[in-house]
Amino acid sequence: MRFALIALILTICSAPAATAQNLQSILQTFTTEIAKPSRGTVGDTLDAIAASGLPQATPFLEQWSEKNVWQRNDGMFFIGLASGDTLALTDIDTQAISTAQKSDFKQLKPNGGVRRLIGTALVQFQLIDPDVSRRTTAVASIARRPEAAQLAPLLASIDPEVDASLKARKIQLANFLTARFAGGPVDRIAAIDSLSTDTSVEARAVLNLILTTTSGVASAQPTGNIAAILDPLDAPIVSYFALVDAGLAVAKQTPADIKRALEANIIDGRIAGFPLAQMDNAKTREAAYAALVDDGMVPTLITDTLRDATLTDHIFYELYDEPNATITAAAISALAAVDTRVATAKIADLTLDALSLASIFFLAAIGLAITFGVMGVINMAHGEFIMMGAYTGFVVQTFVSNYTVSLIIALPLAFAVTFGAGVVMERLVIRRLYHRPLETLLATFGISIALQQLAKNIFGTQARPLTSPDWLAGAWVFNDVIQISYIRIAIFVLALMFLCLIIHILKRTRLGLEVRAVTQNPGMASSMGIDPDRINMMTFGLGSGIAGIAGVAIGLYAKVTSEMGSDYIVQSFMTVVVGGVGNVWGTLAGAAMIGFGQKGIEWLNPSNTLAAQTYMILFVILFIQFRPKGIVALKGRAAGD
Amino acid sequence: MNTLFEVSGVSVSFDGFKAINNLSIQIGEPELRAIIGPNGAGKTTFMDIVTGKTKPDEGYVIWGEKSVSLLGMSESQIAQAGIGRKFQKPTVFEAQTVRENITMALKNPRRPFDLLFNRVATDTEDRVRAISDEIGLTDALEQTSGALSHGQKQWLEIGMLLAQDPRLLLVDEPAAGMSAVEREQTTDILVRAAKTRAVVVVEHDMDFIRRLNCKVTVLHQGSVLAEGSLDHVTKNQDVIDVYLGR
Amino acid sequence: MQNTFIAKNPSVLWFLLGLSIFTVVVSILSEAAGTAFISTSFLKTLGKTLCLCLVAIAMDVVWGYCGILSLGHFAFFGIGGYAIGMWLMYDRTKDIVVSSLENNILPPTPEEITTAIGTQIFGVVGSTDFPVIWAFSHSLSLQLLAVVFVPGVLALVFGWLAFRSRVTGVYLSILTQAMTLALSLYFFQNDSGLRGNNGLSGLQNIPGLEAVSQATLSLWFFWASASALGAGYLLFAWMTSGKFGSVIRAIRDNEARVRFLGYHVESYKLFIFTITAMVAGVAGALYYPQAGIINPAEIAPIASIYLVVWVAIGGRGRLYGAVIGAAVVSLMSSWFTGGSAPDINLGIYTVKWTDWWLVLLGVTFVAVTLFFPKGIGGLFDLLARKEKQS
Repeated sequence: MRFALIALILTICSAPAATAQNLQSILQTFTTEIAKPSRGTVGDTLDAIAASGLPQATPFLEQWSEKNVWQRNDGMFFIGLASGDTLALTDIDTQAISTAQKSDFKQLKPNGGVRRLIGTALVQFQLIDPDVSRRTTAVASIARRPEAAQLAPLLASIDPEVDASLKARKIQLANFLTARFAGGPVDRIAAIDSLSTDTSVEARAVLNLILTTTSGVASAQPTGNIAAILDPLDAPIVSYFALVDAGLAVAKQTPADIKRALEANIIDGRIAGFPLAQMDNAKTREAAYAALVDDGMVPTLITDTLRDATLTDHIFYELYDEPNATITAAAISALAAVDTRVATAKIADLTLDALSLASIFFLAAIGLAITFGVMGVINMAHGEFIMMGAYTGFVVQTFVSNYTVSLIIALPLAFAVTFGAGVVMERLVIRRLYHRPLETLLATFGISIALQQLAKNIFGTQARPLTSPDWLAGAWVFNDVIQISYIRIAIFVLALMFLCLIIHILKRTRLGLEVRAVTQNPGMASSMGIDPDRINMMTFGLGSGIAGIAGVAIGLYAKVTSEMGSDYIVQSFMTVVVGGVGNVWGTLAGAAMIGFGQKGIEWLNPSNTLAAQTYMILFVILFIQFRPKGIVALKGRAAGD
Repeated sequence: MNTLFEVSGVSVSFDGFKAINNLSIQIGEPELRAIIGPNGAGKTTFMDIVTGKTKPDEGYVIWGEKSVSLLGMSESQIAQAGIGRKFQKPTVFEAQTVRENITMALKNPRRPFDLLFNRVATDTEDRVRAISDEIGLTDALEQTSGALSHGQKQWLEIGMLLAQDPRLLLVDEPAAGMSAVEREQTTDILVRAAKTRAVVVVEHDMDFIRRLNCKVTVLHQGSVLAEGSLDHVTKNQDVIDVYLGR
Repeated sequence: MQNTFIAKNPSVLWFLLGLSIFTVVVSILSEAAGTAFISTSFLKTLGKTLCLCLVAIAMDVVWGYCGILSLGHFAFFGIGGYAIGMWLMYDRTKDIVVSSLENNILPPTPEEITTAIGTQIFGVVGSTDFPVIWAFSHSLSLQLLAVVFVPGVLALVFGWLAFRSRVTGVYLSILTQAMTLALSLYFFQNDSGLRGNNGLSGLQNIPGLEAVSQATLSLWFFWASASALGAGYLLFAWMTSGKFGSVIRAIRDNEARVRFLGYHVESYKLFIFTITAMVAGVAGALYYPQAGIINPAEIAPIASIYLVVWVAIGGRGRLYGAVIGAAVVSLMSSWFTGGSAPDINLGIYTVKWTDWWLVLLGVTFVAVTLFFPKGIGGLFDLLARKEKQS
């Protein structure tokens, strides 16, 4: 409402001026300032042009800024384009076109500073330009470099704005400018308060700009809007530098200074009577320096005690640049409110991140969990199946250029390839090693080593890209804090689908029934006509197939390399072990715990993802102490022993 | 006959299934006791609880003159306290010789450094010989125990139990898979052992139990159904209904 | 007692004899002896191989005898290397710094020297301060203790946690692998105080022995490695024979049964796990001065897996098997990947051994696990049996 009112007043004020004059006559009153503009003087000229409210002012300012304005010998200004010796002239007011000799004219060449001021003035016109793209550009330029002068025209432009989204943006920007530049503290505080619900980076920047401080040091209590009085002894070295910079103290000698001073005063191999050879410790050096001070050869040594005494004699403070204390107080409380909101949003964002990490771990681990749970077989080559799936995706993309189509082909193909590889491995190797879990572990090591090197031989050592289709490229943005890329959402959905699919297979199908029967009692199952060999083969194929699909998914957001499997294998095992063997829900719980745990640690120490992984593993090792059978543990006889 | 060992009010359940339900048994010293019962009556679980493999949900297991509770102790501590166990399947260390198996079981200090620096009694050879004579394996002392017959393995395991010199012996189906002659010898070994200590035998074979000629406890669904001489329990109507009748 | 032990285990004597003969022959053929049939670099390779054999027998004791498939013993090896590397690097840098400061007008103060060493060593990771873990790096004897005790204490703590909660079998393997991964990730960090992925370098220069040529130095290290291997072999052969050996083999075959015999299985496993970790540390401390450089990639989980591969191929459960496996596979690895193995031209495709060696190794390993679980050592059994039959 208030903005509308101001806008109304502005329009009323500028209307009579427009009818009174034409632009050339206004320009003529400022001939010298326009012909030789400087940053200091051009302001009045621009104000006058702006105040005229004439429609031809915009093109004039644009041309002036582009150095296309020429002045005739008689002082009249024209817009002109030089070609050879002639000028194509356009009249500033009437837009009448003519040609003239270039020699009668002088080109106006405003410098960079002036051009920037012209630009600012232009913005006011552009804000109400009929062309919506110009208005958008103007708004964007205000957002980039907000200035006090822009507030009034911006407010004035809000009411006539027809584009709804641009209008909202203008109102938001006007609010930012009001908070920083409005005349009265009441307006500013109202605007600041309204910012306390805005979590955008811009709004936080506005609040922080209001709260900028200048630090200083003085011997007496400073006047002004004090942000803080600092204890100089908290950081004595830095504080003392400030004191020296302020000219209130002499610089403290560094050990190098002392050394130089000592070296400068060597007389006959002695310094102040001390032989040079004794200078190999700090104590003698100090003593020698003290002796030099007594001789008046060097300035007094400023010791730590002396420094601290000087420091406590002075007051170190930070002053708000904003003199009005109520405004800074309002900004502080608004910022605190925003920070709370941002923190909440960050937790939400972190949760989303953790969720997507958990889905990746789940996808990578679920295949392993199935084979481990059902067959008691540790497949160390599981990571290489993930890699195989990712390379399948890469190969498909080299043949099918449409990314969406290639993805649709790659997913089932990756499943088929790794399913096949899993079945072959089961038949050739695993089957011969049942009931010898450690031996299986060893044999699958061997396979893992061979497969990794094979991939290196075929695809080379450099990372291969697996490009996602455009519709998976962007990110879903809630606000400046919370956003999540579509790929991660897709992986989450994929993980969810597989969770449902596996639960369905295990609980609702004949295969699942047989798998559960073989898990619980292989002897009894086989006597009831279930072929455990076939079930084991199918289970192993299924587990490997899922690894292949996980590989495609992981390849979409990480690079495809021959070593990518080993990046996930340990985490996958952790997931299975933490979750508890032989249970899909356990794997889910394990993935969630590791995903959230890792993100949580990363949040505590954001600079170091390596450390996050290290601590997560330590945590898992400790966790196993308390729940050796994992989160979802089988109890009693079923657990075996 | 003093009470050596007492289980009272013990219950344990696996995933809702009550394997042991308010079980109370007392064993004296010396005593020979047979425990019988149908499959799933809780015989093996009973042994698991006594030897510390399974922790009960409630109840007490009291041991010895000082009435120590066994529940807080680990398997090895319980074994060192004087309870030996023979498993249903013969579990001797097949890669090692009969002598090594018996030597390992002999009652000696059992910490790593005791063994490393050979801090053991000097009469080892005599004791190994005594045990091997008892179980009739003296000729096979240097043989790998994996090469023994099934019955011999059972004996070796009983021999290892005796070598531990326990006060309570828990023997799970010692006669399974044995020939008639072997059974007789096994009975003799157990009866002789029970002269100086408590021996609890879990068995299915009624003839074998009859030959043991001792007090019998019948378990059913995790608790004691009947107790007394074999003749006494076989006349019990409940026992006939749930066990013998079938 | 020692006499009866040797008498009962004649193979130990044979091994020590073989090792002595090998050492003497290599010494005679070395550059230091003047004959130079064996180049200094190959002498170093042989010395390093002996160290690998030492860590392999430690691995064999913990896995082949006690049944603990540890995927972390190469990490202990690396820690031993880091421990000695810290002293080597500190002391050598100190020599360099002191001699460069010698020309200053004023003699340097201890603080100046320390700062200069710190800048030299930690400049690559943007730091000049000495991390806490370098507190003893000035002292050779303390770092030598660290070579043994840091892996020992780590193994003790980890083992106590793991064995106490009855983590066994594949679970334990996975946990030890996780431990290795955590360690290597930690070492990779710049602020771990161990120069991040740069690792420690220049370890082949032994402070105080600058006058000694690398040829002679390599021979000394070769002797040291051979003695360490001999001593380690003797120690482990002694441990695995007799009643103690009988118990740990019993633990491997049936842990629960040993527990019911009244043995505290956890202390046995912990003892074995810890002592083998200490020996691995010693092996590492001898290896890396010959290699010259150590970095976190050395202790990555895959290194411990290769250790398992050596022992499996050589034949676990017998010490000489581990020695054969480590020697054969590691020497073949360096031969094949070093590019000196002749490529095989198949007409349409040339098999380059640098590319295909790992494939061959992997497949061999699978075959050994499937068909020859006793490894190369099993061949000796076959030969012995044939001899008996004939």
